[in-house]
Amino acid sequence: MQTVKMVISGAVNAGKTEFIKTISEIEVVSTERRATDDTRLIKKETTVAMDFGRIAIGDDLVLHLFGTPGQKRFDFMWEILSEGMLGLVILVDSTRPETFRETNRIIDFFMSYRETPYVVAANKQDRPNAWSPEELRLALRLPAHIKVLPCMATDRESVKNVLLELLDVIMQRSED
Amino acid sequence: MPLVGNIRDFGLSDFLYLVDRGYKTGCLHLSRADEMASLYFEKGKLLTATRKDDNVPVTDLLVRKGKLTPAQAEQAVHAHQNQNGASMSQVLIDLHLIGRDELQRVLQQHIEESVYALFGWSEGEFRFEQGQRPEPTAPIMPIPLPVEHLIMEGVRRIDEWGRIKDRIPSTDMVVKFIEQPIERAKGINLATDEWRVFARINGKDTLAEIARKTGMSEFDVCRIVYGFLTAGLVDVIRKPAPVPMLATGRPLAEAPRIKKSLVTRIINRIRGM
Repeated sequence: MQTVKMVISGAVNAGKTEFIKTISEIEVVSTERRATDDTRLIKKETTVAMDFGRIAIGDDLVLHLFGTPGQKRFDFMWEILSEGMLGLVILVDSTRPETFRETNRIIDFFMSYRETPYVVAANKQDRPNAWSPEELRLALRLPAHIKVLPCMATDRESVKNVLLELLDVIMQRSED
Repeated sequence: MPLVGNIRDFGLSDFLYLVDRGYKTGCLHLSRADEMASLYFEKGKLLTATRKDDNVPVTDLLVRKGKLTPAQAEQAVHAHQNQNGASMSQVLIDLHLIGRDELQRVLQQHIEESVYALFGWSEGEFRFEQGQRPEPTAPIMPIPLPVEHLIMEGVRRIDEWGRIKDRIPSTDMVVKFIEQPIERAKGINLATDEWRVFARINGKDTLAEIARKTGMSEFDVCRIVYGFLTAGLVDVIRKPAPVPMLATGRPLAEAPRIKKSLVTRIINRIRGM
């Protein structure tokens, strides 16, 4: 059985857990505990370990989805999760500009290891005051070749679209 | 939908970059405690800026600065009533009460000072209202102002590492020009030290190396490069490491070489979900 891995990352409360829950075929394995730091101000339960979801591609192939922990003190997990990943989705809460710097730090972290295929998903586009994908591109200073996609992590079609766009980027780098 | 936030999290220079690159038209409202300011943009360029404590028509401003007499101001106000949608600035020029260049110089100086003072705000709410335009009687510059040099001047007033480190986390990073820096640089006036750094940018040297070669402090070099970065002239990238290593000391595995047929299978599976 071959397994391939995609990583879903982003700042605290960007919607990583929801994103994986929406698409995973199995009950998502989330290691969640009561938050003990300032993330408590954002949500009562926040991800302190990781989320794990799974999509069976066939009898011989499985896609694993890993959600990274949001808080800085779990940075070491990012490094472990990034090993061997096929691609990366960076989720951004489009309604909270206070998380844009942290988002840049996360992108910088993953890109510092190697040129991983990635897309940015502008989550919570259904909310009032959401910054549009193009505004997010400018705010995050993302180059034109990086896809910034509208996203609603609770909507299956929206999540599928983000993954398909990422797979399109991966396809361009794959071999015959 | 308005864009809202706090300049503590998304700085004024970042917002000016967004307005510039996004060719935005609208008004950026800033507020903190009992202070308020409004910056109006057209297609990414600054038209005018007003502050709550100094929100006067252009005629009053010019009288105060000795560029118009009260009688001339009254004449302009009367003429403006018969105009349909024209700005008061245009009426003043059409009536030859002040030359276009002189009006530009006076208003630009006034507006620049208003904006520079805003860079000193460490926090404050912002709200950008798309499409909102200034009152026709506001001190609108005849030639809208490119924001790049406002950004550079604003960044010159930054005196703390915190904000700089958000964009330049390490002095081991390499500075390189973006594809067309010369075009963008036209609107920017550089100070001597800024030229010294600008001339050292070659896409190979790190910030620490530029500091050593120019004899400047790392802070000053980073502050100047932060300005170039915010104005969209340069990019900073990590120096490529020859062999990526994990914190554990193990070399990081190569990115998996994946076959197109496998990607196609995953695509088909997700499409069918």
